[in-house]
Amino acid sequence: MLIREVMKTDLTIISPETKLNDAYALMLGRKIRHLPVVEDENLIGVVTDRDLRLATSKLSEQPFDPEIQVRKIMKYPVRTAHPSDPIELATRLMRELKIGCMPVLEESKLVGMVTTSDLLDALLLLTGVHQPSGRLDIRLPNRSGELARLASLLAGHKINIHSILTYPDNERNVRLVLRIDTIEIKFIAQEICNAGFQVIWPPHIACVK
Amino acid sequence: MCQIIYNPQYKKYNLGANHPFDHARVEMVIDLMKELGYLKEMIVPDIASIDEILTIHGNDYVSAVEDASLGKQVNDLEKFGLGTFDNPVVEGMAEGARYQTGGTILGAQILLENKAKKVLQLGGGFHHAHKNLAAGFCLYNDLAAAIKKMTGAGWHVAYLDIDVHHGDGVHEAFYSDENVMCISFHESGEYLFPGTGWIHELGKGMGRSLKLNVPLEPFTEGESYIEVLKGIAEPALKWFKPDAVVIQAGADAHFSDPLADLMLTTQDFEIIFKTIIQIVDEYCNGRALFTLGGGYSITAASRIWSILYMTLLGFDIPEKIPEEWRAKWEAKIGKKIPESFYDLLPAFEPIPRKDEINRHNKELIRRVMDAVAGDWI
Repeated sequence: MLIREVMKTDLTIISPETKLNDAYALMLGRKIRHLPVVEDENLIGVVTDRDLRLATSKLSEQPFDPEIQVRKIMKYPVRTAHPSDPIELATRLMRELKIGCMPVLEESKLVGMVTTSDLLDALLLLTGVHQPSGRLDIRLPNRSGELARLASLLAGHKINIHSILTYPDNERNVRLVLRIDTIEIKFIAQEICNAGFQVIWPPHIACVK
Repeated sequence: MCQIIYNPQYKKYNLGANHPFDHARVEMVIDLMKELGYLKEMIVPDIASIDEILTIHGNDYVSAVEDASLGKQVNDLEKFGLGTFDNPVVEGMAEGARYQTGGTILGAQILLENKAKKVLQLGGGFHHAHKNLAAGFCLYNDLAAAIKKMTGAGWHVAYLDIDVHHGDGVHEAFYSDENVMCISFHESGEYLFPGTGWIHELGKGMGRSLKLNVPLEPFTEGESYIEVLKGIAEPALKWFKPDAVVIQAGADAHFSDPLADLMLTTQDFEIIFKTIIQIVDEYCNGRALFTLGGGYSITAASRIWSILYMTLLGFDIPEKIPEEWRAKWEAKIGKKIPESFYDLLPAFEPIPRKDEINRHNKELIRRVMDAVAGDWI
């Protein structure tokens, strides 16, 4: 999954001359938390709602006047993503840098924004239920051909796989969570078990070896 | 008074010899009631028309189901969920589904005309059928068609689903409809088909907070189930005060069901049915239409629906199931039938996580009520 598939492209852009209170009103009005600052078609900084609130807070040592320009408080240089980056790259960077958004640049032009919300949407797309389906949780030996063997067993029963999620289990195995289009999950779990796979869910499946 | 609806043509809804959706379940109920001298006259419904099916389903979908059922070549079968493991294409399936839908629609008609306060439709309950998708053994959504018939006449209707699977097709059909409240009690979608039916699925627009989902933990037992049923269904129906309730009385939350993991006994089902009737009598003008539904342990489903029948008609439940009757049906289905309507207790080994499961389920009452509190004014 690439950044271009999850990024937002209907952008709200401000100039460095925008006043703090205007930027804040813009965020409230459009229900967003990050504004890219653009000058002469170049991205020169980013302002977040947190930057604005901290800058103007009575709790800060030298509170800024809400009438000043965002140029004074914007963060730069800005770490950016490319539309062709895989989402895991942006996710890792955002975690490491502890930031909530990355502007997306292509040939030095701002083409989109990706925020933690977009990455949560991507997580939902990957893990969520999009069609009526049952859940199978399998422990699969971590070697070639095992997934193919499982998939052909399902195909043999005319069962379609809606989604597959895998994650490392231990050195030898991976965990596999499949969503498949059948209500008869225990029947198929039995077949899978009989074929030598380890079924974690549904429980209590006794295999015939 | 309770009216019984049944048509021998329901049998045409046959998804193949080894398919769990087995018509024998209903035939056993009727034959057993006959054996006990409890069988009363049953109204025979007409087949539902294509127009009635189209009140719920899309044109292309209905054409695909009807054509495939006649043995015609259909493109894009899979797009409609047809020709799959759960919904194989079988000749005559559309006709069978329309007969069953006709029965549920007739049930709505009987309530609308005030000819009876209670109706038991000995078929139907196809809650997984979506607008343009067959799923989970279901083709045509008879429940949605019957509910639509009643809302069309200006009624407010509640739909109560005790099948172990989420009533997704019915919820979807009325998701933004302010005239229909849907409440589904089911095993959590984290584990079980169809994967939906979470607390936060509350309905949209004018239908907001009228769609309630109660995802119970796997291995939930009767006591906890009934606590949650009372804790949610009673305040919900008391507040909504529908003109009638449609109940999908699936029997697959029984502990012996091969498709799911809840642990109800037939004794629990009797309490559940009585609880529902009591709530309906108190808050819903006494009007209820019960349909069948899932239930894939044939010896459990037939006993549970017999209990439903006897409860609705006010017959005492006999201590024993007649021996001759059992011998006859054991030969037919090749399975041992218990001697009693009630399960032998203890019916299963103690559940190790019982306390944790009960605590989790109890929390569901509060979480569902908190979620809707702002809108129930």
